[in-house]
Amino acid sequence: MKEKSGCRILHPDSKFILPLPSNVKYSEEELVALLREQDQGAFSYLYDNYAAALNGVITRMVTEPQLAEDILQEAFIKIWNNFAQYDNTKGRLFTWMINITRNLTIDTLRSKGFKKQQKISQDENSVSGYGDRSMSAERFDSIGLKKQLQYLKPDQRIIIDLAYFNGYTQDEISKEMSIPLGTVKTRMRSAIMELRKLL
Amino acid sequence: MEKEEIISSGILELYAAGAASPEEAAQVAGWCAQYPEVAAELLSIEKAMEAYAMAHAVSPRAGTKEKLIASLNIPADQQSSKIVKMAPRFNMAAAAAVVLLIVSAVFNYIYYNKYNALEAQNKAQSQQLAQLNNHMTDMSRDMNLVRSKYSLPVSLNGLKDAPDAAAKIFWMKNTGEVYVDPGNLPMAPKGMQYQLWGMVDGKPVDGGLITSKDGKTYSIQKMKTFGRAQAFAITLETEGGHPQPKGTMYVMGNI
Repeated sequence: MKEKSGCRILHPDSKFILPLPSNVKYSEEELVALLREQDQGAFSYLYDNYAAALNGVITRMVTEPQLAEDILQEAFIKIWNNFAQYDNTKGRLFTWMINITRNLTIDTLRSKGFKKQQKISQDENSVSGYGDRSMSAERFDSIGLKKQLQYLKPDQRIIIDLAYFNGYTQDEISKEMSIPLGTVKTRMRSAIMELRKLL
Repeated sequence: MEKEEIISSGILELYAAGAASPEEAAQVAGWCAQYPEVAAELLSIEKAMEAYAMAHAVSPRAGTKEKLIASLNIPADQQSSKIVKMAPRFNMAAAAAVVLLIVSAVFNYIYYNKYNALEAQNKAQSQQLAQLNNHMTDMSRDMNLVRSKYSLPVSLNGLKDAPDAAAKIFWMKNTGEVYVDPGNLPMAPKGMQYQLWGMVDGKPVDGGLITSKDGKTYSIQKMKTFGRAQAFAITLETEGGHPQPKGTMYVMGNI
């Protein structure tokens, strides 16, 4: 490893420093502050802690593994390059990241010729065939909350998943679930209230 | 909208789930800045959603991270050069901080030791000073006693049972206060105590017990007051004394 400027431990080819002690735990404020300074260690930490959760959203909509991986990479590149746009007064870092990831996934699918209808119909299968989804759920990293989530009513899960994982608009949710548009907000609230009780 | 209305409307949930319209998102941001309760509610919702996402996490394929890091290098040239440029400054600062820390630690160690030594010295000296002060107080009190123009010294001489013993009485003529200097009496044996007597019209009257502060020496001490007396005597009594002398008389002196 060559040393640049006499002291910085930068690899001449890889300008990013990967290793970060795994026991390091940042608070959200610390992490955001470090990322604003374009700290590579913080970026590595960000990936280690959130890549799987973001990938969970991507793989809900994208079945092709290579495409899913590309989208995840692109999402992280966007997060890194556009970090200055993150405004912590408007919400948590993860909310911002998952929004980027979700939008990027939808945009990518669209650009690849997947019509929105296709996406929806694909989701229809998984939503109506709830058994199929629980099968794919086998792949998910198991956390204690997962067990708890079975106490959510299917309708509550569906409304959360449609918005959070599949990027449905209120209009689309209304049509998908056959509920009035004005009811989407209140339904979403009661579903998430139920989820908060399980935590 | 009132903050309660906002919270119960479900718009925060919609926002956190990513399904709010751009107009709604702008509204939420405004409310969060305006009402801390709304911001707190949104935070709780977001944390719940985050936990939900974590519960549905799917690990990326192995090697994805390495590819990502590698791909970041090419477009990240600008950032990288920025980082390289900034690095020496930070390193200089870090090096300076480390050096300062070490220097500070060394000085801390030195001064801490010095401080400890000085503190011990200070403690010893104040103890010494307190002792000297007590001594001085005793001495000056004794001196005043001796030098007072009212003080009448009475020498009590050793009797046949203790020919070497001696004591001195200072009787203040103006107040009748009686001080005894028992410095030349042998230390009373354990369980025994000297008692002063004033001879008033041929009868012994209790003048009080003589005590030793440290059990090794006797110093001048104030006894009971006598308006008149013809003589003083000291006897050795069992501890606590008696109303009438019972023990051996050691010294006696007439006025």
